Amino acid sequence: MIDFEEELKKFHPSLEVEDAAEAIYGQDLTDVADILIQMVEKAKEKTETEEE
Amino acid sequence: MICYNCGCRLSEQDFCTGCGADVSLYKKVIYLSNRLYNDGLDKASVRDLSGAIASLKESIKLNKNNIDARNLLGLVYFEMGEAVSALGEWVISQNLRPKKNIANDYIDMIQKNQARLDGINQTIKKYNQALAYCWQDSQDLAVIQLKKVLSNNPKYVRAHQLLALLYMNTEEWEKARRELQKCEQIDTGNTTTQRYLKEVTHMLTPEENQKGSTKKKASSDEIIRYQSGNETIIQPVNAAEKKGVSSLLNLGIGLVIGIGIACFLILPARIQKAKADINNDLRAVSEQSDAKTATIDEQEQKIKSLTDENTQLTSQLAALEGTDGALQATDGLMMAVNAYLTDPEDIETIAGYMEAMEPDENGEEEVKHSNSYETLRKQFLTLVSEKLAAYYYGLGNDSYRNGDYEAAIPNLQRAFTYDNTNADALFYLGNCYRENGDDDKAKEIYAQVMDDFPGTDRASRSETYLAEINNQN
Repeated sequence: MIDFEEELKKFHPSLEVEDAAEAIYGQDLTDVADILIQMVEKAKEKTETEEE
Repeated sequence: MICYNCGCRLSEQDFCTGCGADVSLYKKVIYLSNRLYNDGLDKASVRDLSGAIASLKESIKLNKNNIDARNLLGLVYFEMGEAVSALGEWVISQNLRPKKNIANDYIDMIQKNQARLDGINQTIKKYNQALAYCWQDSQDLAVIQLKKVLSNNPKYVRAHQLLALLYMNTEEWEKARRELQKCEQIDTGNTTTQRYLKEVTHMLTPEENQKGSTKKKASSDEIIRYQSGNETIIQPVNAAEKKGVSSLLNLGIGLVIGIGIACFLILPARIQKAKADINNDLRAVSEQSDAKTATIDEQEQKIKSLTDENTQLTSQLAALEGTDGALQATDGLMMAVNAYLTDPEDIETIAGYMEAMEPDENGEEEVKHSNSYETLRKQFLTLVSEKLAAYYYGLGNDSYRNGDYEAAIPNLQRAFTYDNTNADALFYLGNCYRENGDDDKAKEIYAQVMDDFPGTDRASRSETYLAEINNQN
């Protein structure tokens, strides 16, 4: 049996056109590739530090 | 695929041939992103838009530079009515790759048509308003608002779902099902839609579910268990007999309820309707009757006026064509004149025509003649009146001498008419009336003789006779 109140909570207001720019700028565009690159770079730095 | 470190194009090797960086993991991430894009594309092509969104989101989470995945995500959002989310994805795509990007076309398509953009924005605002109404417990207003939203954007899946949810809340299952079916046509794999549809289908086919539950219940009711010492006795119940009795009882109750409904609900309504129909018919008939009465009155008035007109015309015709009418008089005068012109001495014939012209003695009103007629008559009388007077006096005198007073009266009258100086004619006329016993007329004539011819022998004799008559009375 579906609970109306609970179901209603799952609906959120849609973004209006005026809010689109803000939403786009506020979006975190970091992807897994970025994280991986950071990890590789950090690992590389660590290796270099250890070698020194 | 290019190297994240130096930007060189990567080969099949796990390292960059330009800078020597290890790209094995990076390649795996990019491959996974592409695989998810392919998955999203497959799902979108079979209208599993929700599934496509999930795959494409994962794809761009792995590789934000997967432009195709981002553009497709925008397209899927747009198809589901989420225009702003779609725009967002396309704008990011445009920023990541400003040239040779189909997102530019999509953005241009929307931005160039300002009316469409305004329409999209209004639709979103209305949807948000409807959602606010739901939270405020104004579900009726929310339904109205959502209907407006869907008339503007029929592919807005979330609006369809919310409307279906509202219908489900008010137990309008059929309407809810229709909305959910529309959702399903747009997005086949939406789990929310599937969940709601399952609920609605369940509610719309309660018999089977209830049958199952009642059967179970019946099977549990068919046996009676009770404890006797340490033993549990299970006593079967004669279900068939009970079923028959209950069926009859239900049938009876149904009949009673049916008759009750017919008597208290249907019958009064029918009677009311019949009365209303009769009243309407009566009103219509009354109106027709009034209209006909008015027509009859009008026709009667017309008949009356036509009858009057007819009478008037008849009298006019009679005046024109009657025995004493002007036509006859004119004809008589013409005949008399013709007779005179033929033979001026034939007074008898002329007199005959002139007699025909005389007005009737019955007291009918005298016919008016034209001026030309009167002029001709006067001129003709100047020619013949003397001869006519002599002719009639001769006839009247002869009759008088012979004692035929009845015949003498009209001739003497005519003689005096044509010659009013003939005292003898008037005196003898008085004598004729006296001899005939018409004393009143005789007195009148004698009085006229005394007035018109005073001092004459006829006047003195008239006075004597008048005195005699008066003494006799």
